Amino acid sequence: MKDKNRAPLPGYLAGLEPLSRRGFLRTTVLASAALSSGCASLFGRKDAPETLEYYSLQPDEIDVITRLTEVMLPAEQFGLPSSTSVVPTVKNIDMMAQRMPEQTRDLLGLGIWVFNNRPMVSFKFRKFTSLPDDKALDYVNAMQEGAFFERGLMTTLKALIALNYWRDSRTWPGLEYHGPVTETWGVRRLGNAPLPRA
Amino acid sequence: MSSPIMKASGLEVHQATDVTDSQITLEADVVVVGSGAGGAVAAYELARQGKRVIILEAGPYVPSKAFTEDFTDSLQTLYQDHGGQANSSGDLLVLQGACVGGSTVVNGCVCFRTPDFILQDWQRDFGLSELTEAELGPYFDEVERNLSVHDNGEHEIARHGQVIREGARKLGWSTKPLRRNIRQCGLTGHCLSGCKTERKQSMLVTYLPWAQAYGAEIYADTRVEKVLTEGGRASGVEAVVTGQDGIVVASLTVRAPRVVLAAGAVQTPVLLLKSGLANRSGQVGKNFACHPSLLVAARYPQPIYPWRGALLGVHIDEFMHPDKGGFILEDGGFGIVEMTMLAEPGTGEPFMEYMANARDLAGLVTLIHDHNVGTISWDGERKQIDYQLSEADFPSMKRAIKAAARLHLASGATEVYVPASDRRIIRSEDDIDDQVDSLENAPQHLRMVSYHPQGTCRMGADPLQSVVKANGETHDVAGLYVADASLLPTSIIVNPQITVYALATRIARQMA
Repeated sequence: MKDKNRAPLPGYLAGLEPLSRRGFLRTTVLASAALSSGCASLFGRKDAPETLEYYSLQPDEIDVITRLTEVMLPAEQFGLPSSTSVVPTVKNIDMMAQRMPEQTRDLLGLGIWVFNNRPMVSFKFRKFTSLPDDKALDYVNAMQEGAFFERGLMTTLKALIALNYWRDSRTWPGLEYHGPVTETWGVRRLGNAPLPRA
Repeated sequence: MSSPIMKASGLEVHQATDVTDSQITLEADVVVVGSGAGGAVAAYELARQGKRVIILEAGPYVPSKAFTEDFTDSLQTLYQDHGGQANSSGDLLVLQGACVGGSTVVNGCVCFRTPDFILQDWQRDFGLSELTEAELGPYFDEVERNLSVHDNGEHEIARHGQVIREGARKLGWSTKPLRRNIRQCGLTGHCLSGCKTERKQSMLVTYLPWAQAYGAEIYADTRVEKVLTEGGRASGVEAVVTGQDGIVVASLTVRAPRVVLAAGAVQTPVLLLKSGLANRSGQVGKNFACHPSLLVAARYPQPIYPWRGALLGVHIDEFMHPDKGGFILEDGGFGIVEMTMLAEPGTGEPFMEYMANARDLAGLVTLIHDHNVGTISWDGERKQIDYQLSEADFPSMKRAIKAAARLHLASGATEVYVPASDRRIIRSEDDIDDQVDSLENAPQHLRMVSYHPQGTCRMGADPLQSVVKANGETHDVAGLYVADASLLPTSIIVNPQITVYALATRIARQMA
């Protein structure tokens, strides 16, 4: 559908100018939109990340998401499956992106690009992907405490990554999370309630 | 009339996959738009009285046995806009069911009657003099009986509820078990993904099969695009039937002298706006309220397992009256998805530590008596939800967060996570004011969710100030009714499903 209040999204991204307030704002609902894209088909995915092919995310987008995943989810330190080499977090996001409406997918790309390239003096205008660990973490925290569109974008990207890691059932035993239980526990169905008495 | 025959489980539903004609025309005495709390109840009441009733539901039919108990997957299949319905700033998710049974399929089963002081406001400010406690009491009694509404038993108060209750006792705050519409709760903790064992008494296993037993027909995948009128009276609806692949397979027209809109407080005003009806007052789509809620999570020194047991156990009503704060706190279980999205413990190691210790977390849900400051609009191509927490309501929100933090600390929590976009952690009473008072009422600062949209076709006696009369019929169009939470002239602080059931029952009976 057409959004009359937003400048047309570019096929390529050449700076911040094309971004309208609305474009940024709508980026922030990506987390929930992303939830809707391909979740069921990914449930329990076991592919090893190194064997995966990517169908929607572009190489530079993969780099950004992978780097943010490393910064955000140092899982192995906590005895949990690696967020990059065991659980295919980035591939899960790629699968979501494949099923996004075109406009949403464009906004995701825009958001990733802005996140990686947003010039900030305190980071010497370096791209996020080129920042060392401590600076990368500082950058994420700075975005988290930034202007409203920065907060929204950061919240969105973090939600995307967290969801696409913890949706994998291999992460659950480490949390003692039981997941679906009705069939495991053998809870019987009660059927329709009886008609009320007149 | 012969004795009604009801299926033991499930429903007979016309779905897009059943369609063989590209144009379908049906006739009925009443067409009901939406199959949730209002639509199902109205359909049953009218069918029981011998009316030919057709129910049109935009969402799919997902039988209980197909529920996955996976919240991420359920957002895709059971929720409006696949869980992506949000305000225009993107900081308020508006979660509504979008399936046969509507939001009743995915709610947390919590049942409250409309507070007396809210009814008094409606009488005083909107001329709804007949909506008294005495008038509505018998309707509440009846729907509660029909839906097995009861106070949670001790076994239905999970560990998270038990610790919260103990903390409230220490503070001297009034705490009560929540009332829920459920039979023999299976304690799976997956309410928000639909009840796979058919124990939640949603419309899917109660009023819809009951309506069907009296002859009502249900059409899923069928989105109503326009309400039809003839000579100023409602005469039916036009709809499209769309498959799960998004392809329209048929257009459908229902000719009926009575139309009941019960598509919820977002979709009902959109339909009226698209139809250009019932808006002499200019109030259609206005006055949107939604009980913007926050999940205030906290970490305890012992395992809580917030996903175990009944989702919601107790509530604190100490502050319910507007004179005492105008908010309530409900102890709330939660799963992995909510945990990752609704708190901000930090990035990297702090976040991993928070998640790695997820079993030690408990949550409190805040509900505030928000003002009706939002708007639902339709620009010709898409709907828009404009809602920002008003300056008048922001102090209530902060009071609710502070109360939740105090309660967690009194309950033994060691860290309370303020649900803001930046990292704010409360570890003692001394931290509360610092961490909460500095919150800003700005877009993308609080992580809000609404489960209770309401108010967008408000009831009232004055046709220039309201959309619908006390009997549910629109002021402007005879035979056109509204029977969902759009009716509520003000927000009601508490979970609205019982209010909608009672009003829909009353509306249907007065209609007949």
